Amino acid sequence: MTGRRASLMVTCLGDLFFPDVGVSIVRVLRKLGVAVDVPTDQTCCGLPLFNSGYHAEAAAVARRTLALFRDSEHVVVPSGSCAWMVKHEYPGLLAGAGLAREAEHLAACTHELSQFLVRVLGARQFTSAVRGRITYHDSCHLLRGLHESESPRTLLGNLKGAELVPLPGADECCGFGGSFAVRLPEVSSQILAKKLANVEATGADCLVACDAGCLMQMGGGLTRKKSRVRALHLAELLDGDR
Amino acid sequence: MTTRAEFLGRIREQVRRAPARFPASTASRPRHPAAEAETIRRELAERWRETLDGFRREFEGVAGVFHRVVSVDRVPAVIEQIARERGARELVAWHAAALGVDLPAALGGHGLDVHQMPAAEPTGAGERERLRAIAARADLGLTGVDLAIAETGTLVLVSGSGRPRSTSLLPPCHITVFDRTALVESLRQVGVFLEAWHGDGAAPARGASINFITGPSRTADIELTLTRGVHGPKEVHAIFVEQGLGG
Amino acid sequence: MQDAFLQEALTIATTKFIGLRREAFAGFPEGEALRDQARAIKERTLQELDRHLETLIANVERLGGHVHYAATPAEARSIIVDIGRRAGARMAVKSKSMATEEIHLNEALEAAGITPVETDLGEYIIQLAHERPSHIIAPAIHKTKGQVAELFTRELKRPAEPDPEALTKIARGELREKFLQADLGITGANFAVAETGTIVLVTNEGNGRMVTSLPRVHVAVMGVEKVVPSMTDLMVFLAILAKSATGQKLSVYTSLVQGPRRGGELEGPEEFHLVLLDGGRIAQIDGPLREALSCLRCGACLNVCPVYRQIGGHAYGYTYPGPIGILLTAMMEGTAAVRDLAHASSLCGACADACPVRIDIPRMLIELRREVDDKKIARWPERLAFKLLAQLLARPGLYRLAVRAGRILQRPVATGGRIGRVPLVLGEWTRTRNLPPLAARTFQERWAQDKDLQA
Repeated sequence: MTGRRASLMVTCLGDLFFPDVGVSIVRVLRKLGVAVDVPTDQTCCGLPLFNSGYHAEAAAVARRTLALFRDSEHVVVPSGSCAWMVKHEYPGLLAGAGLAREAEHLAACTHELSQFLVRVLGARQFTSAVRGRITYHDSCHLLRGLHESESPRTLLGNLKGAELVPLPGADECCGFGGSFAVRLPEVSSQILAKKLANVEATGADCLVACDAGCLMQMGGGLTRKKSRVRALHLAELLDGDR
Repeated sequence: MTTRAEFLGRIREQVRRAPARFPASTASRPRHPAAEAETIRRELAERWRETLDGFRREFEGVAGVFHRVVSVDRVPAVIEQIARERGARELVAWHAAALGVDLPAALGGHGLDVHQMPAAEPTGAGERERLRAIAARADLGLTGVDLAIAETGTLVLVSGSGRPRSTSLLPPCHITVFDRTALVESLRQVGVFLEAWHGDGAAPARGASINFITGPSRTADIELTLTRGVHGPKEVHAIFVEQGLGG
Repeated sequence: MQDAFLQEALTIATTKFIGLRREAFAGFPEGEALRDQARAIKERTLQELDRHLETLIANVERLGGHVHYAATPAEARSIIVDIGRRAGARMAVKSKSMATEEIHLNEALEAAGITPVETDLGEYIIQLAHERPSHIIAPAIHKTKGQVAELFTRELKRPAEPDPEALTKIARGELREKFLQADLGITGANFAVAETGTIVLVTNEGNGRMVTSLPRVHVAVMGVEKVVPSMTDLMVFLAILAKSATGQKLSVYTSLVQGPRRGGELEGPEEFHLVLLDGGRIAQIDGPLREALSCLRCGACLNVCPVYRQIGGHAYGYTYPGPIGILLTAMMEGTAAVRDLAHASSLCGACADACPVRIDIPRMLIELRREVDDKKIARWPERLAFKLLAQLLARPGLYRLAVRAGRILQRPVATGGRIGRVPLVLGEWTRTRNLPPLAARTFQERWAQDKDLQA
């Protein structure tokens, strides 16, 4: 239908903990006529190393990832933070290795999932895999790093079979922050508690986000509380036509 | 101890070594500020009514009390009314020359003790103390206004002889009198006047302090509860004279 | 964090400030352009900082003021105490100044027999309580009105009701006396206009005006980065500063102080002294924290920081709290001082969004973390863990091995599709949150093995 090709950058957290998300993305993209490939032996974009200040190590990982996706027409990432890393930090990080130009090229081809669907493919209508009320949390890197708050809401608002309700403080951090969650666990947990109080107050059945880190943090809190609210990735909701 | 040369030398060295983070410029200054200030005045003379409306709205928005009279001979009555409502007995005022109109004289009698600040330099420390004590005791302080900013509801007062700082600071109630010639629209325009006063133009006075006053003194330091009249005045009144102060 | 009142006060205060700031900028379409302009002015000024400071110094001296040069907090204290002694001062009234907090001035004044009196209501309260400020703009935010009333009753030896109006009135009376009696007035400076030799003070209470008009001697302490070239530049900052801090269009008093009193003036100091402070700033002109030199000390970043909002200012342990506080502490105390503080951030970026001059705080926090690692200031177990992680992520063979090992290790704790409590590092996570288990098959394994997925 569209004749496009996209490579899936599944992300370390996605690969290890949320493989269903990757499966849903493959299905959703195929239905839109996009040919999907998954370069072998992916590990990580390097963000966890970068954020903690291990830049030489992050550059080594980034270099590997750059090589894996060198020939991709589009790279789709189910994570705002990983997409941000590739688009914003790769060129600077890899300049020392003489790879700035390749990194710029990769940055230009890389898209977070909701951005790829809405802004590149123009696809907005999907059937929801989950019925009922849903609410959306803006993950920090997607919102402030990639300046994206509309595309996910467009997709969720148009979902057949689900009703999108606004989340108070949607733009407030969930408290994950990568290693922050284990370095300052009490602060991270208290920030999370505020977020979950907001989530439960919406009466939604399902909490949606575009970042595996946020989903681990918020989902982990919700299941610990035995909340009836489920935390799901955007891709899982869009994969409704089975 | 570090000398000036060492201190500045260190900065100079750092500045020379440091690359610019990005091409940047400072704000572009008026080339002939006095002339531009004149132009602003002329243009504002055409739209003083809108500017006054804007000023009133913002001034009242910061809890200023706005009064309007047609002519300058109506001003004493307003001031006396303010005094009566507060049981005020003593008023300290800028010198008539600074006010632009001899209000201190007009206010004499009617139960108000009026102390006009002298235009001449005080003769000694004793005189300074005496005058300061008057200002500290007074219930009302009466001043003019050099600029009234519509954008923010702000009164700009320049200090100098006959226009001491304490008049607008120590008494709990500050009253100002002004006319359309003080009105300006924006902070940007104020910038032009400040450039002019320090550059090729003439400042309203030669004192060492210029104060922007936006409403009465306030704080929210205790449980975020707003209270007024912390150190400065608890009330600020602005009396606008339609027909002007001069003449 | 333990203090429930502090928590609630922080939440209420920061939420209020956030709302006020948002409202102020919502009704101010020129605001975004002014922020860009303010950022540019700061950068340009830094590019010629020596020249602008020379102009400032020349003008201050032309107006009859004296300029002093303090490389360190110790030098600054010594200069100010010396000025006070020569003036025969017994008491100094102080207007709110983070710079004087930074150099720990009050203890030095006390030791020299000069009683420092804080006059900003919030600072007055914490001075009486022998505490340090917990927020840049609202220093006593952590105190209830009941606590303030008790404090006043105890320290001022007069009964005080727990009512903000009544307490403010008491403070007004007490401090009015001090203003009138003090020999020495000490302030900071929000800005200094080089072209005219003007110090600018932004306050709401009127104490800035008092301190710079009534005492015989006025000392202003100012970081070198506060200089702006002209009055036209100043207006750009005034247009956005109060809005960012409290949502006001302008603070109640913006005072332009230009040297000691002039001929014909009734009031004003006989002597004016400007103390220029380095304290680590100069080294950052060509340093990684250069951008932090643009800070206007408005507090907007504190109000939106999820960490600050949770732990409050004292928990940071240094003069300047919050996101910018971590950078300033590194600047003033060295990188080792922020070994842990540099990680007191989830890097959410709300601070950079709120900053009126668009300082990219998260980027510099990452730089600090990098310096902590490069200089081996970080603890070795942590460094080892990250080096191991780096190996895993750089070698797919090791990655796959780690996954297999992980699946075995998690068997005892992964029940019902989730991981509950575990010890060690992940124990920190699992005290309050579940963990998803490592998938039975990773996505890449499924992709390699499921023909229908590939087709």
